[in-house]
Amino acid sequence: MKKRFALLAAACLCMAVSMTSFAADKTDIVVAMDADVDTLHPTDFSTTVELGVLNQIYDTLLYYSPDGTKDPEPRIAESYEISDDGLDYTFHLRDDVTFHDGTPVTADDVVFSIELYKASEYQGSQISMLSSVEATDEHTVVCHLDAPYSPFLQGICSPMIASKAYYESSEDDFVNNPIGSGPYKFVSRAKGSNIKLEANEDYYRGAPEIKEVTFEVIPDSSTKAIALQTGEVNFAEIDSATKPQLEANPAITIAEVPTSSFSYIAMNTEKEPFDDARVRQAINYAIDRDNLVAVCYDGEAEVNSNICAKERFGYSDDQFQYTYDPEKAKELLAEAGIETPYDLGEILVAEKYSNLATVIQNDLKAVGLDVTISVKEFNSYISDLQNGSYGITALNMTLEGDTQTLEMAFTSDYIGIANNARYSDEEMDKLFGQARTETDNDKRAEVFNEIFTKAQDEAIYAVMCNPMTLYAYNSDLTCPEFVLEGNYYLYDFSWAE
Amino acid sequence: MTKYVIKRILYMIPVLLGVAFLVFTILSLTPGDPGSIILGITAKPEDIAALNAEFGYDKPFLIRFFNYIGDIIFHFSLGTSYQSRGPVMADIMSRFPNTLMLAILSMAVSSIIGISLGIFSAVRQYSVMDHVCVVVAMIFASIPGFWFGLMLLLLFALKLGWLPSFGASSLKHFILPTLTVSLTSAAGLLRLTRSAMLETIRQEYIRTAKAKGASEKRIIWKHALRNALLPVVTTLGGGFGASLGGAIIAETVFAMPGMGTLITTAIRQKDIPMVMGATLFLAVLFSFVILLVDVLYAFIDPRIKAKYQNGGKSRG
Repeated sequence: MKKRFALLAAACLCMAVSMTSFAADKTDIVVAMDADVDTLHPTDFSTTVELGVLNQIYDTLLYYSPDGTKDPEPRIAESYEISDDGLDYTFHLRDDVTFHDGTPVTADDVVFSIELYKASEYQGSQISMLSSVEATDEHTVVCHLDAPYSPFLQGICSPMIASKAYYESSEDDFVNNPIGSGPYKFVSRAKGSNIKLEANEDYYRGAPEIKEVTFEVIPDSSTKAIALQTGEVNFAEIDSATKPQLEANPAITIAEVPTSSFSYIAMNTEKEPFDDARVRQAINYAIDRDNLVAVCYDGEAEVNSNICAKERFGYSDDQFQYTYDPEKAKELLAEAGIETPYDLGEILVAEKYSNLATVIQNDLKAVGLDVTISVKEFNSYISDLQNGSYGITALNMTLEGDTQTLEMAFTSDYIGIANNARYSDEEMDKLFGQARTETDNDKRAEVFNEIFTKAQDEAIYAVMCNPMTLYAYNSDLTCPEFVLEGNYYLYDFSWAE
Repeated sequence: MTKYVIKRILYMIPVLLGVAFLVFTILSLTPGDPGSIILGITAKPEDIAALNAEFGYDKPFLIRFFNYIGDIIFHFSLGTSYQSRGPVMADIMSRFPNTLMLAILSMAVSSIIGISLGIFSAVRQYSVMDHVCVVVAMIFASIPGFWFGLMLLLLFALKLGWLPSFGASSLKHFILPTLTVSLTSAAGLLRLTRSAMLETIRQEYIRTAKAKGASEKRIIWKHALRNALLPVVTTLGGGFGASLGGAIIAETVFAMPGMGTLITTAIRQKDIPMVMGATLFLAVLFSFVILLVDVLYAFIDPRIKAKYQNGGKSRG
C-alpha cells in the first residue's frame, strides 16, 4: 500500500515537472471564453466575448486606447485630419492592407463597413452622430457630421473593416466564415465548444508571433481554474473566488485590470425621500465602501464614489469623494427632517447583485434607515428599472468608451434607459451638450470637472467602486500591460524563449 | 403489434401540439423581450423596437404561435434563433451528439454497475458485501453531482493529469462526465434492482423452482431476474429519456456543449425559437424512448406481449 502511494506521488511529481517545461517553442495559445459567441458578425454582435474574438480577426481604422489619454494609433488609416469646423474627418488609408482572401482593402470597403456599422441596431448608436461617409479616392475616406461631436474619433475607431465584395457574394459566409484584415484568420468554429484561428502571415504590421489560437468555451470558473493549472488553457479571465488558488501556483501570473464599470446605488429622485439631496448624501456617507469591496468583490475592486473611473478622461482628485462617516449621515438625515428609524421601503435588486443589497442594508440600518431586500429575476428587474418602479436599487453598469457615454446616466433623454436616478436637470443637460461639441481637450476636461463636481455635490448616485477584471495566464506568456477595460490583442502576446 | 406502435405514434401529434402551446405560452408570459435582453440596459428604445420587429416579436402572441407551427409543418423548419440568428436545428445538431453519447455511455455504465450489484446484493442478502453495496449506494445517491464532478476533475485532471478537464472532442473527454452521471444513477438502480429481486425471490414460483431441483444460477437468471427486471426497465427508460435533455451539471462542470446548457441559456435569453425547437426535439425523442420501453416489455414479459396482440386484434 505504502509503495503504491510512493508511486503515485512520483507520478504527480513527474507531471508537475513536465508541465512547467512545456513552453519551449510553443507557438499556439488556448484562451478560455465564459460563454459561446452567438455570432461572428462584425457589426451585429452584443457581448464582450464576441468582441474579444472579433478583435483578433478584424482591424479598425485607428486604435484608440480606452483611457483616452493617448492619441489614436494608426491601423488601416495611416493618418487622419479633422476640419477646423469639426464636421469633416478625413482618413488616409494604407495601400498595403489586404483581407484574408488576398483582396486589397479599399476606401469602398471602409465606407461599406462604416455604413453597415451605423445601420446596426447592435452597435450603430456608437456613431449615431455620423451623417454620411464617402470615398473621395481609392485610399481616402471622409466622414461628415451635422454638428461637431468631439468623441467621434473614438467612436469611429470601433467599426471593424470588412470586405464589401465578400458580403455581397454570401451573407452566410460573411457571418459564419468571417474574413477580416486583422492579425488572425478564422479557421473553424465548433458551436458551443471552440473557435480556431491561425496567424495571418501577410499582416501589414508583421506576422504575429503566436501562430495558432483556440478559444475554448468554459463556463464554470472552477473548471477554468483547473484547466489553467493543467496547462490546457493558457489565458483566461477569472473571478475573484478562484484567484487565491491560482495565485498560489507559481506557473500562473495574474493581472488586475481596472475597468470603468461601476457598482452603484441608484435612488429614484422622482420619489420621496430621494428627491432630497441631503438624504442621498447621507446614504453616500453611510456606506462603508472598503467593507463592501472586501465582502462582495474579495477586494478586487477600486473604491470610488465618483461615477467617473480614476483612469478615465475627465476624472480629477478635486472632485469630491464620499467616505464612510455614519455620524455625518445621521446629521444630514436629521437636517432633512427624517426621524430615524425610517423605513425606506424595498431595495430592488437582480439576483446577482443580492450580495450588494445585503451589505447596503446593514450599513443603512446602522444610520437608522431600514430597507427590505426584494430580489427579482434579471429580466423582470430590468423591466422595473426602465419603468421607474423602484425607490432604491443597486447594480453594476458599464458605460465604456469616451467619458461622454456617462451622459446616459445623467441627462433627461436617458430617463427610462440608463439614467436610473431619473435625474432631470437643465444645467446638467447643457453641460453634457457642451462636452459633446468642445474640441479642445483642456476645455473639455474642465466641462467634465464641472459635471462630476455637480454630480458629487448633489449625490445623484451613490457609486461604490469600479470592479477589476482579472486575467490569469501561464507565466511563460508575455503580455503587454493591460490598459483600462482590459481589451487584449493576441497579436501583442508572445511566449518566452 | 405494428398497429399498436402506429397508434402510439399518431397519439404523439396532439401531445406535441400541447407541449408546443404550453411552452410557447409560458415563454411569452415571462418578463422582458428579446431585443432589450440582447442589447442590454443601455440600449435606446428605438433600437430595441427595431430588433424586436426584425424577430417578428412585435406581433401578437397567437399570430406568432401559428406562424411558428406553420413554419414547422410547411417548411420543416424549427425557426431562426434570436441569439445566433442562425437555424435552430443547426444549434441542436451541434450539441445533440454529445448529449446522446453521454446519455448512452452513462446508461450503459450505470445499468451494468447498478443491476449486477443489485442482483448480487439481493442474492447474498445480509452478507458483508450486501451491506457494503447498500452503504456505498446510499453515499453516491446523496453526493451532489457538481461536487463529485469537481472532485473527479481535481484528482484525474489536475493531480494525476490522466484526463482532460473540459471539452468533448474525444472519447477520453467523456470518461469523467460519464462517471459523474452514472455513479449517482447507478446507486438508485442498485437499490431498485435489489428490492425488486428480493421481492421476486420470495414468490411461490421461485420456491417451486427450488423444489423441483433447479440450480441456483438457473433460478436467478431464468426465473427471478426476468420478473424483477420490469420496474428496472421502466426506470431505465424514463431516466434515459430524461438524460437526453442533457445532464446540465456534467455539461457545466466539464464544459461540454450539450442540450441541457443549450436550453437553459436560451431560456435565460428569452430565445423563444431555440427553447421551442429544443423542447419539441426532445419531446419527440422522449416519446419514442417511452414507446420503445413499452415494446421492450413485450420481449421481457410474454403476458404483456399477449395483451398488445389482443388489443390490436380487438380494435382491428
